[in-house]
Amino acid sequence: MATTVMLVALALQACAPTAADSGYFGKTDPPPGQTLRYISGPEPQSLDPQVGTGIVEARIYMAFFEGLVIYDPKTMGPYPGIAEKWDINDNFTQFTFHLRNNARFSNGDPITAEDFVWSLRRGLDPKFAAEYAYIAYPILNAEGYNSAGSFVRNKATGAYDLDPATHARRFVTRDAKPEPGKEFVPIRAEDVGVEAMDPMTVRYTLTQPSPYFLGMMAHQFFMVVHRKSIEKYGNANWVQPKNIVTSGPFRLTEWVPYDRIVGLKDPMYWDAANVRLEQIRFYPAEDTTTMMNLYKAGAVDALENHCVPLPWNDFIRQLKDYMDAPEEGNFYIQINTTKPPMNDIRVRRAFSLSLDRDALARFRRVAKPLSVFIPEGIYPGYPKMKGDSFDPKRAKQLLAEAGYRDAAGNFDPSKFPVDKVEYTYNNADPWRQVAELLQSQWKQNLGITVPLKNMETRTFFTSRNKLEYQGLSRSGWFGDYMDPYTFLSLFQTPTGNNGTGWWEKSYVDKLDDANRTHDPMERYRKLGEAEQQLLDSAAVIPIWVTSTDWVKKPYVKGMYANPGSLFAWKFVYIEHDRSKWEAPAPEPKP
Amino acid sequence: MLRFVVRRLLSTIPMVLVVVSLTWGLIRLAPGSFYTGEKALPPAIEQNLRAKYGLDKPWYVQYGKMISNTARLDFGSSLKYEGQPVNAILWRAFPVSAMVGLLAYSLSLLVGITSGLFAAVRHNSKWDYSSMTLSMLGISVPTFVLGPILVLFFSLTLYWFPPARWDGFATRSAVLPVLTLSVIYMAYIARLTRSGMLEVLRSDYIRTARAKGLSETAIVLKHAFRGGIIPVVSLTGPALAGLITGTVVVERIFVLPGLGTYFLNANLNRDEPLILGIVAFISITILVCNLLVDVAYAFIDPRIRY
Repeated sequence: MATTVMLVALALQACAPTAADSGYFGKTDPPPGQTLRYISGPEPQSLDPQVGTGIVEARIYMAFFEGLVIYDPKTMGPYPGIAEKWDINDNFTQFTFHLRNNARFSNGDPITAEDFVWSLRRGLDPKFAAEYAYIAYPILNAEGYNSAGSFVRNKATGAYDLDPATHARRFVTRDAKPEPGKEFVPIRAEDVGVEAMDPMTVRYTLTQPSPYFLGMMAHQFFMVVHRKSIEKYGNANWVQPKNIVTSGPFRLTEWVPYDRIVGLKDPMYWDAANVRLEQIRFYPAEDTTTMMNLYKAGAVDALENHCVPLPWNDFIRQLKDYMDAPEEGNFYIQINTTKPPMNDIRVRRAFSLSLDRDALARFRRVAKPLSVFIPEGIYPGYPKMKGDSFDPKRAKQLLAEAGYRDAAGNFDPSKFPVDKVEYTYNNADPWRQVAELLQSQWKQNLGITVPLKNMETRTFFTSRNKLEYQGLSRSGWFGDYMDPYTFLSLFQTPTGNNGTGWWEKSYVDKLDDANRTHDPMERYRKLGEAEQQLLDSAAVIPIWVTSTDWVKKPYVKGMYANPGSLFAWKFVYIEHDRSKWEAPAPEPKP
Repeated sequence: MLRFVVRRLLSTIPMVLVVVSLTWGLIRLAPGSFYTGEKALPPAIEQNLRAKYGLDKPWYVQYGKMISNTARLDFGSSLKYEGQPVNAILWRAFPVSAMVGLLAYSLSLLVGITSGLFAAVRHNSKWDYSSMTLSMLGISVPTFVLGPILVLFFSLTLYWFPPARWDGFATRSAVLPVLTLSVIYMAYIARLTRSGMLEVLRSDYIRTARAKGLSETAIVLKHAFRGGIIPVVSLTGPALAGLITGTVVVERIFVLPGLGTYFLNANLNRDEPLILGIVAFISITILVCNLLVDVAYAFIDPRIRY
């Protein structure tokens, strides 16, 4: 339906006067003062940073809360937040953060190391049931505590069982039964590897080396929350504007669900002197045509990523409003490697070689073709591995070698069991069109008509994660933090987000080895080796890197097209001087 | 009459319970849950969530709790929107939908009845043909086409009204959603009024009135109108119930924080308490609106008595 709305509106739009002559889309009159009006996407799940899981929520939380580090406004790498500096031990298992002595909550309470300890323990509490708690699992005993698990202790000696891989205490989940001679010791919040060394120093101890942990700390799950207000009003009600105490550059003044979230500059914020916006207004909206209409009419100043409807893209991308950059996200096809014929690597590779990724990316307009798994252009210094290029001839040879051949030994499509392969996708835009394009390419290049199976989105995710699909399935991943490991770790376990059934111990060993490596470039090289193993397995067919694809008015400065479209709002401002619109914003200073 | 109203009101209770039970069953049949997403959750976190929301209990315990909640008209908290009670969402969203719906239906009645009346009185005239052609157009153009056309013309060309978002009832932001929503009902009401009036104007008692020498205005407004309007009254029950409880398309196009928006997203999010709350609310509204229509018949048509 939304597509129909969009197409009708687009057809009519073509007749309307456009603002192409000025180089901008629609009105360019800045709002009075320093107020930013931003379309933030769907209604946020909650205003509690440890509850909301999506990028939509993350952007809103970045106005109201802060962690030890924040995302660099341009690169999304770690940037000093409430911590002014940090120390990391040699094997990346201890991260010590030194807090600023002027950091305050919005009610004036000082932010101390104890607040960070309490915030993490709260997020990991199994009764609190935070969906994103698993991002903190690299922290010592975090997974055990969050799983309501127990340590295993020898009754006779009192010694704890150790995990042979990590040498940390072994834990069992809540459903486990004690073995003879052993007893269970429930894991407490105090066992989690976080401690306040002094009021201004907090230390995180990890289970195993994790060089990516620093970048991960900018995630919303690690933002500091105010203990007293949560204990007073409860987890459900503390986020109401009349109760909430925040820790970021803005304090919440209004929240009308599905309508607006309003924040005013917080004078208590440690860096308030450098916060230029006086007010920030988040407007939820989901229909991209409506977003663009509001933008054109000058009712809002910037839109969330992926906001430009596909048919509008050729026009909008010529304008100065358009913000385009590679995203830390990919689209790939995952293959169920547990069932024939896809348990044969030659068949999997053939399906990959027969796809023209350039044509697929051209159709999508806002994507760049990808033959490897890690998005290109995101991690400086990460090596380019070797993926499959478009080679239908080789694809047919491989299928013939796999046994689907005629008497002369040539590939015969009629021998291929199409009843055992289908391409499964969810019924959201643009996946239907992409599925049809993939089907036509396989038909054209291999002579195989792969049946398409369309499913409701949540039904699709359930089926895909349980490996209930046969053959091929749509997939994609957006990084949780700025490190290639966020992509490669998908295949570290055979379950969870893996979804392919492919798993090799040597792959996990390569990842572990890379994470023990101190030199960043050497670590990237080792991660690259692991990626090559994944590509060689052909368990996934990478297709494209996504793109940020959003717009902002020329007077909005300090918002950059970074790989996650996550903005440090304290650097954003409204430039009323038209002569400065084309000039770059001053570089942010930590 | 009073006995009839009380009996009908009492009958809504089992009907609402049946509707929510069927809805509950259908939600449970659908694979996936409110926490199912592109990124799969570790089993431990799924267990935490299921324990937190009581989803780890046997189905009959969960069903019993749901029925008990429904009987007390307390649907608990939304699963997707952490900590937001369903009743609070209903109280917040219903006034927006109701205001847009009532304004749209009032406008539809005013324009629809007037043009239908003229079309019937001036049967086969230019007025009749043109109003019926326009009404056919109004019925044929769906709201998801009309809405963007109105936005394009009034918001993006003339800049008279905002293209979306809700600033309240007596603001310019209400104009385009109300207009978009009312056009199709205007068209229906015009056609129903015309056909109803034509039928009545041909009946014996109108002939008698004419024979008595009454003026045409008195015949139409005093005698024919009450009978001719009955089809419109029949339409009003379900139409008004549908309008005031939220219209998904218009609320989405114009970003209105109404019940339709919540209902659509609750379904996509598998937000069981919110779905059940809105379903129960819509059921009750439809049943009450239909009851009001039945009561209205008795006042409009002297032949109908309960």
